[in-house]
Amino acid sequence: MVTGVLHIAGLTKRYATTLALDNINLDIPGNCYVSLLGASGSGKTSLLRIIAGFEQPDAGAIVFAGRQMVGTPAFSRGIGFVFQNFALFPHLSVYSNVAFGLDNRAEGAPLGASEMRDRVRAVIDLVGLAGLESRGVHQISGGQRQRVALARTLVTEPRLVLLDEPLGALDANLRMRMRGELRRIRSRLGVTFLHVTGSEAEALAMGDRVVVLDRGRVGQFDSPEVVFNQPASPRVAKSLNCYNLFRGKIDAGEFITEDHRFRLGGSRTSSADPSYAIRQDMIAIREGEAANEPDEESISARYLASEYTGSAFMYFFQLHSGSIVEVENHLSHRAMQNLDVNADYTLTWKTESALVFG
Amino acid sequence: MTVLLHAAIDKSSLPVAGKRGLNRVAYWLIAPGVLWMTLFLVVPILMIVYVSFWTQTTFKIEPILTTRSWAAFFASDTYIGALWTTVRIWLIVLFTTLLVGYPTALFVGLFVKNKTLSTALLVLCVIPFWTSFLIRVLAWRPMLGKEGAINIILQMLHITSAPIDALLFTELSVIIGMTQIYCVFMVGPIAFMLGRIDPNVIEAARDLGASFGRIFRTIILPLSMPGVIVGSIFVSVMVLGEFATASALSGRKVNMLGNIIVTQVGSLKWAFASVVGVILTILMGIVIAALLRIVDLKREL
Repeated sequence: MVTGVLHIAGLTKRYATTLALDNINLDIPGNCYVSLLGASGSGKTSLLRIIAGFEQPDAGAIVFAGRQMVGTPAFSRGIGFVFQNFALFPHLSVYSNVAFGLDNRAEGAPLGASEMRDRVRAVIDLVGLAGLESRGVHQISGGQRQRVALARTLVTEPRLVLLDEPLGALDANLRMRMRGELRRIRSRLGVTFLHVTGSEAEALAMGDRVVVLDRGRVGQFDSPEVVFNQPASPRVAKSLNCYNLFRGKIDAGEFITEDHRFRLGGSRTSSADPSYAIRQDMIAIREGEAANEPDEESISARYLASEYTGSAFMYFFQLHSGSIVEVENHLSHRAMQNLDVNADYTLTWKTESALVFG
Repeated sequence: MTVLLHAAIDKSSLPVAGKRGLNRVAYWLIAPGVLWMTLFLVVPILMIVYVSFWTQTTFKIEPILTTRSWAAFFASDTYIGALWTTVRIWLIVLFTTLLVGYPTALFVGLFVKNKTLSTALLVLCVIPFWTSFLIRVLAWRPMLGKEGAINIILQMLHITSAPIDALLFTELSVIIGMTQIYCVFMVGPIAFMLGRIDPNVIEAARDLGASFGRIFRTIILPLSMPGVIVGSIFVSVMVLGEFATASALSGRKVNMLGNIIVTQVGSLKWAFASVVGVILTILMGIVIAALLRIVDLKREL
C-alpha cells in the first residue's frame, strides 16, 4: 500500500565494479523534510540523481505521485533539483534564471506574460531575493546564488525537491541561517524536501525524518531523536560520529573486547557485526584507579590530547589495545577538566547507557 | 586630532618609489614586444600605404606621390570584381565552415564524455596539417576531377551517369577546398568553449523541463558564441588573404585580392600591389572589428 509521495523499491545501481546502491527500499512521506545522511561513497548522490532522472538504475522501481519514474525523462518528472554548485545559467540574470523553467518547459501550456511575471516575483520574494532580479549571477554572493538555485526550481511547483548538499558551499554562519530558511520555505509550500548531506549535525537538525545511507544500503529511516539515541546498527552509529564503538563478541552475558569485558544491561539489537557502543557525551573521566559504582562500567585509558570547540571539549584517550576513545564534555554540564598528557585515567559510564549490537 | 592630520599629510609626501619601480619594470617587460610589433607590423603597413602612392611606370618606380594607382584600381572592372569575389568567397566559406564545424565541435566538446576520446578526436582533426599546405590543396584535384574519386564513386553507385564537370576548376572547388582546410580552426575554439560549459547547468535545464532544442537555443548556443567569434576571426583572416587555394583549385579562373597581389608583385608593379594590399588590410580590419563587436571577448574569456 503506497502511502508516501515517493516510493522506491529494490533500487540497484552499479558503476563498473562498484555497487553504489544495493536494493534500496524507501517510502518518503509527503509534506515532510527528509534528510539523507551518508559519508562519501555511501551512494547518496547516486540515489538523488536516479530519483531526479539524470541516471538510470540497473534494477528497481520508483513511483512518484502514482507515476512510474523509471523510463520517464527528467524534464517531465515534476521533481525539482538543487545542485551542490548551484549550476546557475551564467549568461542570464537572476530573474531570467528563475523564469527559465516557466519560459522553456517542453510540457504544459505556455503561460501568459503577466502570469509568468507574477509567479516569478512571488518565488523571488519567497526565497528573499527581492530587488536583485536584474543582477548577473556573478554579481551576487554565495548565499544569494543558493537562493536563486532554489527559486529556479521552486517556480515550476514541483511536488518533491531534491537538494544535493545545498549548504556545503556556504560558510558556517550562512549555513546556520539557511537551515532555518529552508525549513521555513518548505513548510510554506507544503512539499517534501529530500536533503542530502554528509554532516550528521545538519541531517539531525533539518530533517523531520532521517535516512541513514551506508555503502549503498538504507541503515535506518526514522525521526532524528530515534536515530541519534537508538541507531539501528553499528554502521549507523558510526555514521553519526558521536559514538565510540568497540568490536568483540558476546559471551555469557558479557561483551568481550580486546581490552575489557563489559556487562550487558543496556539495549540489545541483533546484528551480524557484534559491537559495543557508548556515546561520547555519556562518558565521565575519573582520576587514576577510581572505584566504579555498581551500575557503571569503567576502563583504564591514557589521555592523549584535547580539542576545544567553544561550547564543548573533546578529549582523546587511548586504550591498551591502541583504540582511540573520544569523550565529549559539554561545558554547560561539566566543568573543564585539566588532564595530564600521557597520564592514565579511568573512563566510566552507566551500564544501561551503552548500546550492544550482536 | 592635529597629530592625526599631520600623519595624514606626511604620508602623502612620502616617495612612491615602490609603485614607480613596478611601472618601470612593466615597461622593460613589454619593450621587446612593442619593438617587434613596431618593426615588423606597424612600419611595414605604413610603408605599404606610402608606396601605394608612388608613381609607377612600366619599368621603374619613383617616390613621387600620386593617386594614379588608386584610380586605376577603382576604374577597372576586373579589380573591383576581384574585391567582390573575395568578399563573396569569404562569406560563403565562413558559412560552410560553421555549418561543418559547429556540429563537429558539438559532438567533440559536449557529447563525448571521455576526455581522452575528445582529445583524440581533436588530434584527428589536426592530423591533415602534418602535411604541407600545398599538398593539401593539390590533393583535392584527384578527388574532384572528371576522373577523380568522387565522380568514380558516384558513377559506381549509379547516382550519376556522367562525370560532373563543375566539381573542379570552378569557384565551387575553391570553396570545397577552403572549407576543408579551414574548418578545423572553427572546430577548435568552439569545442573549447563548449567543453567549458558546466554539465550540471545542462542537467539543471533538463530538470526544469526544457527539451534539447530549447536547451541548445537558450544555453549552449549563447555560451559557445565566444568560440564562434574566435573561430570566425581565424577563418576570416585566412580566407581573406588567400591566393594559393584559389589559383590551384580554380585553374587561375577565380581571382581573389591575394591573387592580384601575387601577379602584380610578379611583374614588379609595387605601387599597384601596395594599393591592393592596403585595401585587403582595411577589409580585414573592418571584418575583425565587426566580429569583435558581437561578443565582448575580454569579458567572456
